[in-house]
Amino acid sequence: MTRKTLCLTVLVLGLWATSTSAHAAMSRGFNHLLDAVVRIDVREETFDSGAIRFTGSIGSGVILSDDGLILTNAHVASPRAVELSVTLASLERVNATLVGWDHWTDLALLRLDLTEVKRRGLKFTHADFADSDKLYPGQTAYAVGTPFGLTRTVTRGVISNVRRYFADNRGVEGYETGLFNTWLQTDAAINPGNSGGPLVDEDGRLMGINSRGYLGAENLGFAIPANIAQRIVAGLAKDGRITRSYIGLVPGSLLDLESFYALKQNTGLLVNSVDPGSPAAVAGLRGGDIVLSINGAPVDGRFPEQLPPIQNLVASLPVGSTIKLVVKRGEQTLNYAVVTEELKSRQGEEWAFEKWGLTVRKVSRAYARENQLTDDTGLLVIGVQPGFPAAVAGLNRGDVVTKINQQPITSLDTAKKAYATFTEKPAPTLVEAQSDRQVSLYIFKP
Amino acid sequence: MKFPLHLRLPGLLLTFIVTFTSVRAADLPALFQERVKSVVAVEFFTETELDRRPTVTSAFVADANGTLVLAPGAIDGRVQPSQLKDFRVYLPGKSASEFFHAVYLGQDPLSGWHFVRVEEKLRSQLTPVTAFAATSPLAEPALADDYWGIGLRRKDEDFLPYFLSGKISNVQSLPERTAIALAEVAAPGLPVFTRDGALAGIALGGFGSTYLQFSRNERGTPLMLMNVEESRVFQLVGEVLPWMSRVPASVNGRPIAWLGAYGLQPMDPDVAAFLKLGNQSGCVVSEVLEDSPAQAAGMRDRDIIVAVDGRPVPRFTPDQVAVSYLDREILKRKPGDKFPLTVLRGSDRVELVATLVDQPKLQREGERKYFEKLGVTVREFVYGDGVLRRIKPAEQRGVIANFVKNNSPVGTAGLRPDDWILEVDGAEIKTYAEAVAKLAAIEADATRTDFVLLTSRNNATAVLRVKLK
Repeated sequence: MTRKTLCLTVLVLGLWATSTSAHAAMSRGFNHLLDAVVRIDVREETFDSGAIRFTGSIGSGVILSDDGLILTNAHVASPRAVELSVTLASLERVNATLVGWDHWTDLALLRLDLTEVKRRGLKFTHADFADSDKLYPGQTAYAVGTPFGLTRTVTRGVISNVRRYFADNRGVEGYETGLFNTWLQTDAAINPGNSGGPLVDEDGRLMGINSRGYLGAENLGFAIPANIAQRIVAGLAKDGRITRSYIGLVPGSLLDLESFYALKQNTGLLVNSVDPGSPAAVAGLRGGDIVLSINGAPVDGRFPEQLPPIQNLVASLPVGSTIKLVVKRGEQTLNYAVVTEELKSRQGEEWAFEKWGLTVRKVSRAYARENQLTDDTGLLVIGVQPGFPAAVAGLNRGDVVTKINQQPITSLDTAKKAYATFTEKPAPTLVEAQSDRQVSLYIFKP
Repeated sequence: MKFPLHLRLPGLLLTFIVTFTSVRAADLPALFQERVKSVVAVEFFTETELDRRPTVTSAFVADANGTLVLAPGAIDGRVQPSQLKDFRVYLPGKSASEFFHAVYLGQDPLSGWHFVRVEEKLRSQLTPVTAFAATSPLAEPALADDYWGIGLRRKDEDFLPYFLSGKISNVQSLPERTAIALAEVAAPGLPVFTRDGALAGIALGGFGSTYLQFSRNERGTPLMLMNVEESRVFQLVGEVLPWMSRVPASVNGRPIAWLGAYGLQPMDPDVAAFLKLGNQSGCVVSEVLEDSPAQAAGMRDRDIIVAVDGRPVPRFTPDQVAVSYLDREILKRKPGDKFPLTVLRGSDRVELVATLVDQPKLQREGERKYFEKLGVTVREFVYGDGVLRRIKPAEQRGVIANFVKNNSPVGTAGLRPDDWILEVDGAEIKTYAEAVAKLAAIEADATRTDFVLLTSRNNATAVLRVKLK
């Protein structure tokens, strides 16, 4: 009877000992991490109503260094932000500025106002990165952030998938995302406001940056893997931006098309489309081609998950590099040398011409291509304010302004000059705009 | 004549008026019965890959040869004439189980009217609307004058004819002289008459009125309501009488005079004033199409057409009517006719003379074939497809997916209607015949497990693998 009791006691003690050791580990690394997580209140400009308006939103972030660098999402802190207010673990608020952003990976880097931090004697810690290539499905993961404004919320789950593919052409405030990286998927509850907060392991090391979840789904959350984030942080800290190379190939996954193209298993990248006018198009590549190797290295694009790293291979080269492509077209094997251009977003710069009651976005090459415009001349109307000259003249959201007083609008600056003339000496102004290739004339009257 | 009578014989006048109006009132049912003979109900079937859809509409009798006219909107413009089957003509108020056969003759490009000819045996029971046209030209309807016409009930009510009438509220140019009444005066496409029974015009569909919709959840959402069975609007007889004889020479409505100035856009008076056009108007040519008469005449993108044959483009309200005006000016003419134009280019006035041609093959005229097992109808690539996709005539090839069946092999592979098929199994498709031969071979080959298409949509290509097994 005594033995039994003893046995039982040992068992119970043993259990207790295991749980204390885990608990101790959490208290060291995890508590350290908690002091590095911040809430970010953002006030930003919007241009979609024919005037500059301001909106507010809440996100999360994590401090990365003693000099106050904070990592968050690009969809939390974009160049539209006019005020970034950071709430530290101590609940004290400090302002921050945007160092740079990269919508392709949905990451942005901020810097705390360190003079203010010193003046007020505020304290914070910083997080350390885990090696996200070593994560495995089922591994415990914690999300820390500000869901629905509930500051400092910790949720727990597991890594559901380490290499989720999704690309979205308008995913980050209308900008593209997900073409050059895969994502971590987790079932740790992520809600609006978690964006930009860390996904960490039991030791509080950064596995990734929480970015988004499926609306209406239960606990399907996605995070940018730490290893990608680390590269982007280095680039943003150095240059304030990430420069990528572009050749205009739009890949598709080969899946089981290998037999059709008479390819060896796990070989080749299917070219679904080639952007008209892009370096690849100029070089002569076409939809339906199969890229066998890039700069001598064989490529394997059988599954969608394999495409972002291949895309990133091209994107990571310096702009102006010559890429050697070996391409299979039918029976032929062809060699191409393609010189890269700088990658640009489909989303152009936005601007408000307030006295016209007109807000616009520069037409990008990608927008022009998608909308059958002859070139990237023009400004896309994204808002008109009722009662103001643009609206009175009959201009509508979605129209593309191509000329002002007979001057082709090749850049935003050309339009700004015409606007300056109008504001200095108000006079009826002739505006040419097109909508779905239909060209109309409008008069902006003072 | 009546006025002096009134002056001299006031007592007599009273009697006269009483007699006159009572005669008129008694007249109307008789006039109505007589004029019902100039209208019929028409049913036809539109055959698609999957089904046969009936359409019921009304028509008026244009001549003694059994020519019937259907309103422009009665038939979807994208439908190929060969898809229109089994035209049936019903007499208003007679048992709907009895009908007469008719054939489709085509659409007149100018009026937009669809012409149909009914079998001989019915013709004696019909009266052409032209029989009711006044011998001397009618004056334009005066405000508040009464006009009337005929509506037809639905098929299950034996297309029973009923009386409609309204007072004139307004007459304007759209660009044809068009009267708008205070109430519905006829079914769209049916004739409208004066009190005396003279043909006054043909009712026009497609006009709606705006209402506000209030509900438990929403307050005052604007809503456009359109009465599709009756219309308050009619084109005046002076405009439409000459159209009665425009029976198309072919079922495709050919010839169709064509200029090739794409995307004509009207201008508002502010723009006209800025361009110093005075009280006239003009239309901007969005694009000059490749290999078109406009291009041959030296027209350029963004030229503003300000005059035709030396006559300035009038100002219409709404502005949009100016475009219809120019379209009509072209369609009134025949291929081979000279079309002199004045355009404004920057601040210069430039005189151009285009020689109109027959319009290149339309989408609805393009050859097509349905591959039932694959689930796709491919259509010949026609000129208009090149315009939509900005493909120069010399570079045109491939075929268009005109129809894609849901959950079919090609549908599952991701093909959508209007996708442009460039390659089949890695080989370029140059002609329609080539595409048909290739797809037919694939469909006939029972051992086939899959095939591959290269398609294009919104300027981006895609490789689609179609699984057959």
